[in-house]
Amino acid sequence: MTADAFLFWFLALITIGGASLVILMKNPIYSALALVFTMCGIAALFVTLDAFFVAGVQIIVYAGAVMVLFVMVLMLFDLKHEVEAFSKGRITGAIKLATAGLLAGLVMGAIFYSSTAVDTVITKQLAAASGDPSKQLGMRLFTQHIFAFEALGILLLVVAVGAVALARSKGGTHHDQR
Amino acid sequence: MINADFIVDVGISHYLILSAILFSLGMIGVLLRKNAIVMLMSIELMLNAVNLSFITFSKYNSHIDGQIMVFFVMTIAAAEAAVGLALIVSIFKRYKEVNIRFFEHLKG
Repeated sequence: MTADAFLFWFLALITIGGASLVILMKNPIYSALALVFTMCGIAALFVTLDAFFVAGVQIIVYAGAVMVLFVMVLMLFDLKHEVEAFSKGRITGAIKLATAGLLAGLVMGAIFYSSTAVDTVITKQLAAASGDPSKQLGMRLFTQHIFAFEALGILLLVVAVGAVALARSKGGTHHDQR
Repeated sequence: MINADFIVDVGISHYLILSAILFSLGMIGVLLRKNAIVMLMSIELMLNAVNLSFITFSKYNSHIDGQIMVFFVMTIAAAEAAVGLALIVSIFKRYKEVNIRFFEHLKG
């Protein structure tokens, strides 16, 4: 077994195990910790796919900023004790699990079925990449996708204002009940 | 399908299958959990699975636009987490719990 294959299977184990722990842990703090593991595993998978800059951004944005936000909210409100972690009902739960399993099976079947065709297409196109990938990324982002970039900036501004306004409102979102 | 070649030759289908599994795990989390914060975490998991498939196609097609799309998805995910957590804070202030069933009382 080569190093690449070993690395992939190791990282796949980490990410799938972490994702399972996220949805199985009763304490949300442990879920957050498992999610950090999963994010780091996905960042390492990005490195194995030669997307170094995206891997760094993944670590900084997800494992850094977003997870700090989650953990801060969890600790601010002392949510460790949970009354009902999972939704009730065995039959509906089984239906939900079966639906997700069916989706996974369908997607995997489609990937297997089309893998030969995809491989032939890929071997034809695997010649173009050259030069510094991060520089290419920046050039592409700030020339062709500049409008989407600016629109995202405006979206972030609106979201920041909206989040502050929502979190500042006293006692929930409405005032007539209870 | 499962033989020595499948284990040793890691290719595009491996990454795509891993992405599909992660997406399904996130979907199970959203469907099965009742804690709103854990549901948000599961949504982040699904977005990350999609990011993984974007990067995979970006590499195996030698086309850098997939990585740019990943940046956009990350930005949207961060914004979504911020708004979702603000909503959760708002719900918690009133009901002292973040169970998803309290979200049916949301209005104006």
